[in-house]
Amino acid sequence: MVNDVATPATVRAAPVVRRRRVGRRPAAGGSPAKNLLYSRKAAPYVFVLPFILTFGIFWAFPLGRSFLMSTQHILPGVTENVGLDNFERLVGDRLFWLAMGNSLRYTLLTLVLLIPIPLVLAVWVNSRIGSPKIKAFFKSAMFVPALTSVVVAGIVFRLMFSESETALFNQVIGAFGLEPEKWLKNDLTGLLALLLVAMWRWTGVNMMYFLAGLQSIPAEYYEAAELDGASRWQTFRYVTLPQMRPTIIYVLTISVYGGMAMFLESFMLYGGNNSPQNIGLTIVGYLYRQGIEKNDLGYASAVGVVLLLVILAINITQLAFNGMFRKGATR
Amino acid sequence: MSTTAVKTRSPRVVASAPTRAPKRGDRSRSVLMGLAFVVVALLALVPFWAMFIGTFQDGSLLIRYGLNLGLNPADANLDNYAMLFTDSGPYFGWFANSVIVTVVQVVGTLLVSAFVAYGFVMYEFRFKTPLFICVLVIMTVPFEMLMLPLYVQTNAMGLEDSYAAVILPFLAQATTIFFFRQYLLGIPTEILEAGRVDGVTEYGIFFRLVLPLMKPAMAAMAILNGMATWNNFLWPLLVLRSPEKYTLPIGLNTLLTPYGNNYSLLIVGAFFSLIPILLLFLAFQRFFIQGMTAGAVKG
Amino acid sequence: MKVLRPLAALAVVAATALVGACAQPASNQPSDEYSSTVDQKAGEDATTLTLWTFVELHGKFYETMAAHWNEQHPDEQVKLDVNVMPYDDMHNKLQLALTSGEGVPDLVDIELGKFPNFTKGTPALEDLTSYAEPYRDDLVEARLDLYSKEGKTYGFDFHVGTTLAFYNTELLEGAGIDYTTIQTWDDFKEAGVKYHEATGKAFGTADTSAQWQANLLLGQLGGDYLDADGNVTVDSPEVVQAFEILKDLQDSGAVAVPPGGQPDTEEAYGAINKGDFAAMIMPEWFMSRFTAYMPDLKGKIAIAPAPVVEGAEVKTVGGGGTGTAVPSVGEHKELAAEFIAYAKLSKDGNEEIWRTLGFDPMNTSMWQDEAITHDPENEYVQYFTTNPFDSLNAVSDSIGLLVSATSPNAPSVNNLFTTETLNDIFESGTPVKDALAQAQSDLENELGQ
Repeated sequence: MVNDVATPATVRAAPVVRRRRVGRRPAAGGSPAKNLLYSRKAAPYVFVLPFILTFGIFWAFPLGRSFLMSTQHILPGVTENVGLDNFERLVGDRLFWLAMGNSLRYTLLTLVLLIPIPLVLAVWVNSRIGSPKIKAFFKSAMFVPALTSVVVAGIVFRLMFSESETALFNQVIGAFGLEPEKWLKNDLTGLLALLLVAMWRWTGVNMMYFLAGLQSIPAEYYEAAELDGASRWQTFRYVTLPQMRPTIIYVLTISVYGGMAMFLESFMLYGGNNSPQNIGLTIVGYLYRQGIEKNDLGYASAVGVVLLLVILAINITQLAFNGMFRKGATR
Repeated sequence: MSTTAVKTRSPRVVASAPTRAPKRGDRSRSVLMGLAFVVVALLALVPFWAMFIGTFQDGSLLIRYGLNLGLNPADANLDNYAMLFTDSGPYFGWFANSVIVTVVQVVGTLLVSAFVAYGFVMYEFRFKTPLFICVLVIMTVPFEMLMLPLYVQTNAMGLEDSYAAVILPFLAQATTIFFFRQYLLGIPTEILEAGRVDGVTEYGIFFRLVLPLMKPAMAAMAILNGMATWNNFLWPLLVLRSPEKYTLPIGLNTLLTPYGNNYSLLIVGAFFSLIPILLLFLAFQRFFIQGMTAGAVKG
Repeated sequence: MKVLRPLAALAVVAATALVGACAQPASNQPSDEYSSTVDQKAGEDATTLTLWTFVELHGKFYETMAAHWNEQHPDEQVKLDVNVMPYDDMHNKLQLALTSGEGVPDLVDIELGKFPNFTKGTPALEDLTSYAEPYRDDLVEARLDLYSKEGKTYGFDFHVGTTLAFYNTELLEGAGIDYTTIQTWDDFKEAGVKYHEATGKAFGTADTSAQWQANLLLGQLGGDYLDADGNVTVDSPEVVQAFEILKDLQDSGAVAVPPGGQPDTEEAYGAINKGDFAAMIMPEWFMSRFTAYMPDLKGKIAIAPAPVVEGAEVKTVGGGGTGTAVPSVGEHKELAAEFIAYAKLSKDGNEEIWRTLGFDPMNTSMWQDEAITHDPENEYVQYFTTNPFDSLNAVSDSIGLLVSATSPNAPSVNNLFTTETLNDIFESGTPVKDALAQAQSDLENELGQ
């Protein structure tokens, strides 16, 4: 069992057969309704029906409702429409901007850390030098952190970053002669801890994404580059990177998404949604606080709408920048 | 493995880098690289080791004094494990709940996704494009944005504190749908024609002819959805209220309280919850990787 | 096959899990959030009442009282189904349950700081005033008022929560300090500086995640966070003065921020148990933390009245509190209300509150009853070198109350202070006036003032 999954879209064994309307073959002794249900015309609708139901009820409806609630002021038993008041209030809300800043900062830093580094690692793993056994061990070890639940990861890192002098990271800096830090009480050290959690969990996964991309680059390209006398760096820059573009863009997109919507890592690291001086407060954290803790559903929905718009804005911009919307850009 | 599946690949695609004559200096580079890999890999495993030795210590002490890599043999004991297997209260209940929810969710999601992907690929019908856009919507909208109105809604539907509320919203899973679609595009439509000629119903074609061909894809997506469900925290946290219904992540979270005095169960329970995942991973590594990196596939 | 070995291991894990699950004692069914060892003596006709709390010890207390109740009321027996959840989580879930009206418990512990959230608008809680009638005369009225709105009481507390000082006599003697000489905050600072110079460690705590000491000072200075109408007054002179006193203590080295941010956290228990802090100014209920979590200090801790501001009329305030309430949609609300009034307000209940929880009960006439308060079998009497009631009786006529605690705006104040403001002052070194001005503006924005 090797690469037998996910054949590219361009591959089909035979040309598409245009389906002509063939007369229905009546099922033996079946009722007209049953015939209809089993017919070729109706079948696709039946197949997509469960999805439509689920999507309609559990995605489309709440989505619309979210937009609606963001224009309302909701108290127990009383709901009033207030237009854009919630959004106005957001503008003057210091904590909201703090949360937004935290999320943006986190996203930017995870992009910087979690794209180049896994990419380089993937290139190394993919190269012909190095023992395959070690590489296999390496790949597994890097991948396993992604399997842990965020609860477990959060607890472990919280304990390793404890302010006690016997906590792991205090021991580490103690070896350099530094005093124990209150990691989770200061903005920058807290951010460091958060980024470390993110790197621990996602470096392996991103590396595997990039590996998958690398392995689909035809060998001929590398051979041609070698024949042309290209150095390793040149090969990387002119052969590997362009070929990897779709993969990199994909990872970029999901990383923006993941970074801006981050909540649980912070929640578990700080033991709840109330980090000291709100250093760990993210947009979703603020949404949770307003919606669940303070029961201000209208205001929280407004936060959600803003979150969606920001993610869309960032991703559309980066996709446009990367030329995804140009004709023929996607292969 | 079905032999009727046609798996053609572009002859130009090669699975791994070609072998070339080793250059000078490759040897030393190889050793250095190997060393780097081992060091980084060990770093990645540090938290696991820390947790492992943490399970041999008193939980309260861990909260008070932090976690590190050393273990004082005098302090080490098996009390936590003894407690886990004789007196851990709700722990195994949570475990069982997680298993149940995961199995039901995976089966449900795979079926619904396979259905709709099949519908997309094998048929032409009106609303195909709008439907596709719906799938895209799922990918762009963060769940966190939906969770509040969804919560209000599930309550209004009378589903609060039920597993139905935990499972149903996630039956529509975009990555799975795309993955199946991709896979199905590689299956020739002749199969359908052959089936129809033989008098098989449309649904029979799906269940008896196509579905068996999708096994590898199913495996990968089972892993993806299984992992996501097993580790799912936020939504069950909102929905579930009765302690006996808690899944493992929620249950472990309830132990993080100074007034419950059960940090020992927290640390050993957290560690123990990793073991099935790790074992499954070792057994089915390839599917894990395929499943969790699905989506990066071009197309 | 390569797959076989890991699968075999998985099978082993599954088997052990199965064995583990089956080996649990019968009483530890998944429905118990913690092992319930109290026999509630409930008969078959007992009405099951669900009770939510965030403190395991409270749960045990309620079960003990259920046993008493069942003996005295054989026709109206109750069986409590206690669910212990983490603090934040429980309050969030309660909020959600009350809003949706579904999955609401019969009884619920609501911490004082969060209580006003649940009396907003039309409270979804039952009016318990009439149920308190039989016991009212013996109780500290102010503690009932704390959980009241417009004359109606919605929750019953355990205790007065008198703020006292806890001194580690062993450490103090080592530094040549006699705790009985500490009367005022100046005395406290003097002792603190002397201790710090002698040992290099902090004498007391500078709390960043709780306001016990700040509230004490405010009470003594006659200030408050909110005025009678709920307007924010955190930049008022008394509040500024209170925090300046505390900041001065920190600057002089007398106090330091404890791990966990305040003494009532697991991290802090560890530090106190190790001897990193010698003087804790906390509400009386902190006693139970010593017996439960800091066994090494048995026989070393003395309890004394908290330091006062010179010439203050109010010597101390009640701190913290848990009001047990009865949601109005509960099926068995009358029975629940009667039970909880008995459990927490009756003489029986108050005795039990002292005996098992170590709290200073609201029934202050009990404070004079030496048979109860000086009972040599009592684990608290055995643990501490002084009897808490000696200190309590010394201040009992001047226990104050911060009225802001009942305001619906109080939770916002508490939340902001324990996350931002206190950290600004004690960790980041922001000048007190600036930090309070920021808090004032943040709160005004949030509360629309």
